[in-house]
Amino acid sequence: MMVGMTTTATFTGEGRRTGGAPVVSFDNVSKSYGSVKAVADLHLELHPGETVALLGPNGAGKSSTLDLLLGLRNPDAGRVQLFGTTPQQAIAQGKVGAMLQSGGLMEDVKVRELVKLACDLHPRAYPLDRVMKNAGVEEIADRMVNKLSGGQEQRVRFALATAGANELIVLDEPTTGMDVSARQAFWAVMREQANEGRAVLFATHYLEEADAIADRVIVLHRGRVLADGSAAEIKAKAGARRIVFDLEGPINEAALRELPFLTALEISGRTVRIQSHDADSTVHALYGLGFFPRNLEVAGLGLEQAFIAITEAATAEEAAR
Amino acid sequence: MNTLIKLEITRTLRNKKFMFFSVAYPAILYVVIAGGASKAEIVKGTHLTLPLLMMVSMASFGAITAVLVGNSERIAKEREKGWVRQLRLTALPGRGYVAAKIASAAVVSLPSILVVFIVAAAAKGVRFDGVWQWFALTGVIWAGSIVFAALGVAIGYLVTGDAVRPVTFIVYFGLSILGGLWMPTAVFPDWVQSIAKWVPTHAYAALGQAIEQGNAPHFKDVALMVAYGVLFAGAAAWLYRKDTHKS
Repeated sequence: MMVGMTTTATFTGEGRRTGGAPVVSFDNVSKSYGSVKAVADLHLELHPGETVALLGPNGAGKSSTLDLLLGLRNPDAGRVQLFGTTPQQAIAQGKVGAMLQSGGLMEDVKVRELVKLACDLHPRAYPLDRVMKNAGVEEIADRMVNKLSGGQEQRVRFALATAGANELIVLDEPTTGMDVSARQAFWAVMREQANEGRAVLFATHYLEEADAIADRVIVLHRGRVLADGSAAEIKAKAGARRIVFDLEGPINEAALRELPFLTALEISGRTVRIQSHDADSTVHALYGLGFFPRNLEVAGLGLEQAFIAITEAATAEEAAR
Repeated sequence: MNTLIKLEITRTLRNKKFMFFSVAYPAILYVVIAGGASKAEIVKGTHLTLPLLMMVSMASFGAITAVLVGNSERIAKEREKGWVRQLRLTALPGRGYVAAKIASAAVVSLPSILVVFIVAAAAKGVRFDGVWQWFALTGVIWAGSIVFAALGVAIGYLVTGDAVRPVTFIVYFGLSILGGLWMPTAVFPDWVQSIAKWVPTHAYAALGQAIEQGNAPHFKDVALMVAYGVLFAGAAAWLYRKDTHKS
């Protein structure tokens, strides 16, 4: 698993080493719906073995990006390629498995019949029993598809997406509707797939999933890539550490703002909350400036807070322009 | 692809309500229309009785109902639910999907034709000079229904959501009336008649009419049906691959 790689150049190097075309390549891709620019000059490369999380607030262009990637929509400008060919061809060759949020299921059929269909349609299918077992749908094999719960439906979708030896697996909000244990089981299977050298790309709302599972996180905002790197790097970019303390007496806000490496400052009553790129230096300077912080706490920022910080900063920047 | 065809047929047969109405409806309509007609009286301009003429018309009409209305609505619904999007992420070619939809429609149209024939023979004493005519009629009406099944698939792809039902019904009634399935086209004004000659339902009805009079179908009608079949199926396959709407 690759950890701590930032730049696209590093990943391109990796791709060359394994000798293949990038799994996914977006070359200045744009897509608009009416006057809304859903994807704007997107440049993106994914390589074998990567597990990539796609993050972004609602309307950031995640679903549009996945639609373009899978050839369900065509870009207005630019080029989308999978394995050096068109998405449609890559799919026809059985290289891509996908689980869409918007993907419905056939009705009036049994779970086993539907999974068998996916296996029969896949050019490099796995045995039916193995697919059923991996996706955890054995015990609902004889149930009608239209009588399943939300979490069971997700498992069936997962079975359809993993019916054969895909080289890329695309998942859009895959664990929505699953309970905690189902979610854990799901990611265990997913990790196995990634360890076998597959690229896994998933969009998610659960930031802890991205933090725990992805070795690369891409933050989308208004159809552009806002940040691209490991979860640790994304957090660092946002101002990695949070410092919280209380101050006695009147608070000199101007002096606090002069603290080095400070990225955010919030004062409520006697409590001061600071985000910093370098907590050690910030705290050191705090004492140096004559402050006497009480109940001092220094903690790492979660990916969720980093994500909010990054997207809010981008929104503010756009508003200022 | 064969699995999909089998599965589409299986789920159609499982849909008991849909099967019942599609199969029973043409036969009920036949009883309503031809029920009071005399068994012996010959319709003017032919040497055939009204119950016999109506039997062929209603079998054709019923087959169209089953395949056209059934297909377009079910497909539009599947698109809405996103099943088609999911299916497009498999290696299935567009023609596979269209073939499966047509096959499942054919499973419904065959019994609907046979039920009309059985009711007509039993209740109205319809007979032919040759037994071959029963078989030929069944074959021709069934094969012809495939053309309209393909049209149903194409409409299901062309039109979204709420518009599907009205559009299907306009096409369905328009074609049925223009094609002379309800009344002879001779009652229409000349300009309508000249259009009617080229609609698929007209050729469809003509196939059955040739056989009920003991003749072989005209080449022009067969050719027209084949041409429409290729056109509709091609359009359906193209629309399946092209369809990029969510709903």
